[in-house]
Amino acid sequence: MQFMLKQVYINKNVIEAARERMAYIFDEFENICISISGGKDSTVLAHLALREAHKRNRKVGIFFLDEEVVYDSTISQIKYLMNMYPENTVKLWFQIEFNLTNSTSIKDGQLKCWERGKHELWMRPKEPDSIQYKPWDRTKETIRDKNKGFGFYDALDNFQDSRQNTAFLVGLRATESPNRWRAVSKNPGYKDVYWCTKRENGSVNFYPLYDWNFHDIWKYIYDAGLKYSKIYDYQYKKGMGLQEIRVSSLIHEKSFKALVELPEFEPKTYDKLQKRIGGIAVGHIYGKENKMLRARTLPKNFKSWREYRDFLLITYPDESKKDIFIKRYARYLNNNYVARQECRQLILNDYENNLPVDNKPDPREETIRKWRELL
Amino acid sequence: MREIKTEKYGTFIIPDALIINTKYGPIKLISQTAIVVPIELVQANNYNPNSVDSKNMELLKRSIIDNGFCYGVVTIWDKDLQKFIIVDGYHRYDEFKNDFQATEVPVYVLDQTPAQRMAATVQFNRARGVHQVDLMGDLVKALFEQGEDDAAIAKHLGMELEEVFRLKQITGIAELFKNQIYSRSWEMQEVDV
Repeated sequence: MQFMLKQVYINKNVIEAARERMAYIFDEFENICISISGGKDSTVLAHLALREAHKRNRKVGIFFLDEEVVYDSTISQIKYLMNMYPENTVKLWFQIEFNLTNSTSIKDGQLKCWERGKHELWMRPKEPDSIQYKPWDRTKETIRDKNKGFGFYDALDNFQDSRQNTAFLVGLRATESPNRWRAVSKNPGYKDVYWCTKRENGSVNFYPLYDWNFHDIWKYIYDAGLKYSKIYDYQYKKGMGLQEIRVSSLIHEKSFKALVELPEFEPKTYDKLQKRIGGIAVGHIYGKENKMLRARTLPKNFKSWREYRDFLLITYPDESKKDIFIKRYARYLNNNYVARQECRQLILNDYENNLPVDNKPDPREETIRKWRELL
Repeated sequence: MREIKTEKYGTFIIPDALIINTKYGPIKLISQTAIVVPIELVQANNYNPNSVDSKNMELLKRSIIDNGFCYGVVTIWDKDLQKFIIVDGYHRYDEFKNDFQATEVPVYVLDQTPAQRMAATVQFNRARGVHQVDLMGDLVKALFEQGEDDAAIAKHLGMELEEVFRLKQITGIAELFKNQIYSRSWEMQEVDV
């Protein structure tokens, strides 16, 4: 007999189900740690978990990895969540050095957040009760990508690996990230539970909100009378679709568009950011424009994307990174479809390959070839 | 005092600018030196990268009707072309000439090199602020409380009704979802094939 994994509706609503999942996690695990970003999903997740902890008179860790260059509204939200049930909370607010990509600048392509000796430039002072030094064995520290050095996900990995037998709660939702959901739900990660993935040292990542839709999140925030990041209201007022709004870092290759509106939302954050790192004004002025950063329209002085790509490579100002691009592109097809994507990587300083190139024959050339055969 | 002698339009006299002393040295009050000239003597420059969308041109027109023509067009005198070439204010000149069909326009005449002019154009275009969204919301709310309706606010501020509506929504977005019902829950289950 063969089995297949299928999504089956059950006779409960998402809030009842999530409360039961929380109770299950608290029954099974002594150590519980909630990852929060300041966004709406992690607000709901933290509230559900803290309610359960409060009921049982237990403590849970609330983990926030602080990237320094974030909205001020995000920080207010983190403070709100960390102080909601102080008697049930262990604050794990991490303010340590790690590397962030700055897509808006080639000169200042990387930002080391909370860099030592730059106190005066930091976006804000560190929290008095934050964790300011890496609390793990430095000799066993892992790094995913040597080119980038110790980054956000490395800080996350090393933090999680430093804890044993812990349930890590993450606000992943299937409708929001279908690909990630498919990847994590293939096998049970703990006992017969599918909404989790197994980690080292007896730890497990749990996704108790996996079946929530975005309107469930907002309904819960309304019903429970929770505060949420002001960025959502700002962006909504600016006419942004509710599902596109993000509260994450302000400078990486998928979020620099936030800089276009930042001076209207948080003028002080924008001012400090400009003093902190180069390229911010470029992101502000050209973040939604089709030529400069998005590589949608070919600049008029170039005849083809290939020509533009070659020009960008020759003039790439950082010699140490240039080779990464040259080696990478040597493996790809040399057509305009691929070249346009290469231009985008070069413009956004994406030596980490976070915006992967779809390496295939140019669909336009294919169409032209087919018509030529017919005519 | 400066004199600009034209071939066909006689002589224009530019008054000396008043000077006031400031922390950064003496500053010329160019604003006091406007002269009114025939509009056909004024001409666009060929390098201005600024563009104004049609909705904001409508707002500019509204502003001229409501407030008058408050700021003269900044120019230099080009002797070879026999024209006042615009440094700043192309769009209000364009609107005044082509939509209002005005025959005259006030200009300031600077005495600058071509490089200075180009820089001045960009300075004028870029050195301006943006409206903070939440304060803009407060402003719309205040107008509403003074008895202006949505349509009037939209017209005077050059907004779509949609934008007025969004700015008026000071309650926040969680409120929008209060009447939703929670979705049905689901699980991953193994089923026989």
